[in-house]
Parts: sequence; structure tokens; C-alpha cells
Amino acid sequence: MKKSDEKFAQEAKALFDASVDDLDAATLSTLNQSRHRALEEARSPRGQLMRWVPAAGIAAAVLFGIMLTLPGTGSLDPMPAGVADMDILLGEDSLEMLEELEFYSWLDVMEEGDDVG
Amino acid sequence: MNTETATFAVSWVSEQSTGTRALQQEQQLNRFLAEVERRALRIAEIGVRNRDDALDLVQDAMIKLAGKYGDRPNTEWAPLFYRILQNGVRDWHRRQAVRNRVMVWFGRGNKDDDDYDPVATAPDPIGRSPDEELQNSEAMDSLEVAVQALPTRQREAFMLRTFEGLDVAGTAVAMGCSQGSVKTHYSRAIHSLRETLGEHGPAGSGDG
Repeated sequence: MKKSDEKFAQEAKALFDASVDDLDAATLSTLNQSRHRALEEARSPRGQLMRWVPAAGIAAAVLFGIMLTLPGTGSLDPMPAGVADMDILLGEDSLEMLEELEFYSWLDVMEEGDDVG
Repeated sequence: MNTETATFAVSWVSEQSTGTRALQQEQQLNRFLAEVERRALRIAEIGVRNRDDALDLVQDAMIKLAGKYGDRPNTEWAPLFYRILQNGVRDWHRRQAVRNRVMVWFGRGNKDDDDYDPVATAPDPIGRSPDEELQNSEAMDSLEVAVQALPTRQREAFMLRTFEGLDVAGTAVAMGCSQGSVKTHYSRAIHSLRETLGEHGPAGSGDG
């Protein structure tokens, strides 16, 4: 950069700094409040969560993309079998069901047989 | 000391250490924001020609930096902060453009730009002789008007390099472009400003 350009930039910077120093008290107070609000929000659980939003969004998009591109997954099941199973297992009757798991397995096989027939 | 007590002690020390680190990080972030906030406000104000809007933009930038990038190394904060702020200024201009189009459609043009009076919004005088204050104020007004007239990218490069003092690499991150582009925009900005403000330079004292 030419010397004259440097001098120009220095003068511009000096003028700018003077205008910064001249900011009024009300403006400085507002800036102070804004800063504290920013730090407070970052400290809050919502702020903590916000840090993970971009990563979670990317992960969800990648997962969605994989699900779409995998062979045999052309249609998206609104509730996959695994999720439905977990739902049943976490229900109140899950213990009773677990005791009679063999019966339910047999019933499942019989129903599939009926569907085919 | 049994195993449970030892585990608890290690866990407690670990939590204390994490808490202390978080507190130190927050204190550093507070110092960084306190250091840049006034310059950031003036840079945003030159960008949007309205102090209230500039205050909102600076607050948004602070919240986003603290919320999303607070745990990044503090050397990255300045370029990231100004990148967020510049994006905010650009969004503000886009919204204004849309608003103006809508207002024109309804037969009411936007007169904000015409109403903008740099002298009326000039800062209060503090600690300088009235003559000196007046001279500086007038010179800053002229500089501000000339900077506002620059194309957006040139204006950003000039303000980030000259007013904020970011280096070429930091300015490139803040502007989201290559370092070569920063150099080109900055050089053109200086050339254009020198042409606009004439041989007396920004302070009106001559540039030798």
C-alpha cells in the first residue's frame, strides 16, 4: 500500500475512533445491557441447546439422506417396527407380555400366515 | 478413602474444573464484547444509517456469537462476530429493499434515506474545544457519507480493515471471501474515498 494511502487510512481511523469515544451514555448503557443479555442467554439451557442445533440439524439431514438412498426404503414407514416394539415394551402391561412372549411370537407367526393365505 | 468416596471426589473436582473453565470463558467473552461493542455499533450504524437498528443488529450479533461460538478459541471471535454483524447488515438492507418495493406499490416511497441527517445524529461533544469538535464532526460526517456511498463489499472491507483493524485473513473470514478479494475491495475503497474526499484527506488536513 502506498504511503499516502496509509496516511489516509490512519486519519480515517482517528476520526472514527473519536466518533466512538463520543458515544452518549444512553447508547453505552444499551450496549452494556445487550452484552449482559447475550451472556445470560448463552448461559441458559436454551442457549446451551442452541450450540447443538446446527450439529443436530446436519446429523438429521445426513440420516434422512441415508434413509432415502438405502435400497428398499423408498417409502418411509411412519412408525418403524422397532419403535412400535419399544412403545409396547415400555407400556404398563409389558411385564405380563414378557411372561407370555412365546405365546405372542406364536400368535404373530399365525397372523402372518393368515395374511399370506 | 473407599472407592465410592474416591469416585465422588474425582467427579466433584472434574465438575469444579469444568465450571471454572466455563466461568473463565464467559469472562473472556464479556471482555471481548465490551472491547468491540462500541466500534461494532458505529460500523453497523454507518452500514444502516440508523442507530436504533444498529443497536438491534449488534445485540443480535452478540447473542449469536455467545450462543453458538462462545466455546470457540477467542482468537476466532472477532472475525466470527463481524461476519454475523455483516450478515445482519446485509439482511437489513434486503428487508429494506423489500419494504421499499411494497411501499412504492402502495404509493408511499421510503423517505428514511432522505431524512437521514448525519449532523443531527452526530455524537455529543466530550472534552474537546468546540472548534476542534466541530472540525472533527464535520470531517467524520463527510467520511461517513463517502463510506456509505461505496459498494457494499468495498465498504465492508474498508470498515473492517481500517475501523476495526482486522488483518486481511480476519477480514476474509468476516466477509466470507478470499484474502485476494479483500485486498482488491480494500484498495478500490481507498482509491474511491480519496477521490471523493479530495486532496485534503478525511481529516481535511491534506494527505501530503
